[in-house]
Amino acid sequence: MSLVEELGAQLRATSEELPTGLVSVAMERLRSASDLLNWVRQTSVDPLGVPQLGNAIEHAEHSAAALRLAQDAIASYLAVLGLSGGAPPKDDYRAGLKQDDPAPPRTEEQAPPPERLGPWWQERVAALTGEAPPPPAEAGAAGGRSGGTAELLRRVAAGVRSGDRARLGRDLHRVDAATGLGLSAASSPVLHRLAGDLLGHEPRPEDMQRLRTAAGGRVRSLLPGTPPAVLDTLLARICRAPAAAEAPAHPADSAVTASVLTGVLLARLGRDPATLDPDAPEPSRTRGADA
Amino acid sequence: MASVAEVRAAVDAALHQVTEGQAAIQAAREKLGEAQQSLAAALDGSANDAVGAAHASLAQADQQLEECLGATLMAVEQAQTYTATL
Repeated sequence: MSLVEELGAQLRATSEELPTGLVSVAMERLRSASDLLNWVRQTSVDPLGVPQLGNAIEHAEHSAAALRLAQDAIASYLAVLGLSGGAPPKDDYRAGLKQDDPAPPRTEEQAPPPERLGPWWQERVAALTGEAPPPPAEAGAAGGRSGGTAELLRRVAAGVRSGDRARLGRDLHRVDAATGLGLSAASSPVLHRLAGDLLGHEPRPEDMQRLRTAAGGRVRSLLPGTPPAVLDTLLARICRAPAAAEAPAHPADSAVTASVLTGVLLARLGRDPATLDPDAPEPSRTRGADA
Repeated sequence: MASVAEVRAAVDAALHQVTEGQAAIQAAREKLGEAQQSLAAALDGSANDAVGAAHASLAQADQQLEECLGATLMAVEQAQTYTATL
């Protein structure tokens, strides 16, 4: 390997290791929190931290944009070195699917109390999927946070692949709200990557209709209760298009719809849900599958 | 019918999401710091515009994450103040 090649390899590695996926995960976590607080405070004049979370999300968006600019600048410099035309940079799109969360160890005082949201999550899952919650004994057997959000996303994707709405409903009913809400964050970078693979290029605002055509029907058939605006907002985020202003949705809607959309895009690409495992081999990037 | 316990639980669930978001931001800042060091070492001595742009963008990304973290801390404080008064 020549000196220039070595320098190029080092720069490519640096570009690929930029934390785009982690920033996307953070953004979705904050959006979930904001949706939930908005839902709690709908008729209250107390802002409950929502404006500050809006600012935080905006900063995260700017950071993500700056990371993309840095990747572009590195690519430009590689071209100056005469090393352009390589493979598209890998990214950490499975950053939200690692079992060992990056959360720092919590002291006993900081640990979140056991969830007492009651049937809030299950009621919304029933409305979205049209599937009633399983009997309490059955639900308790696999409930709570067992398996975590990453495992739930893989199970949802498997349910989507089999087209089994009852199974999808069961898997979503069995978790608590914290695990379920985490689906937004876990699926966000994955959705962007899968959409790019399906389209054959980075998703752009003008690709929204193509993605809607490719996935909308399947999402609606599996989630007959999801408001159309929720899917449109997700597609707008994937395509980095401005989202239409809307009334606050139920906080579970975006998480559940994002997970099902992930399963639909995986199925369109002919990929197994196991490819969502961060330790699984990187799937080959099929360019412009069939969207 | 909703109860104070349920409102508090919903806010707690939101704050759990914020905590996870903060952890992801901190992890991202660590990776970003490593990338800045690696880039500085590799491109030491270069006066190319693209190199300057890369350095500036990474610094900007980190600055935005820092401000993001600060905003989340204020949000948490405000939400906790609210639940304390319930």
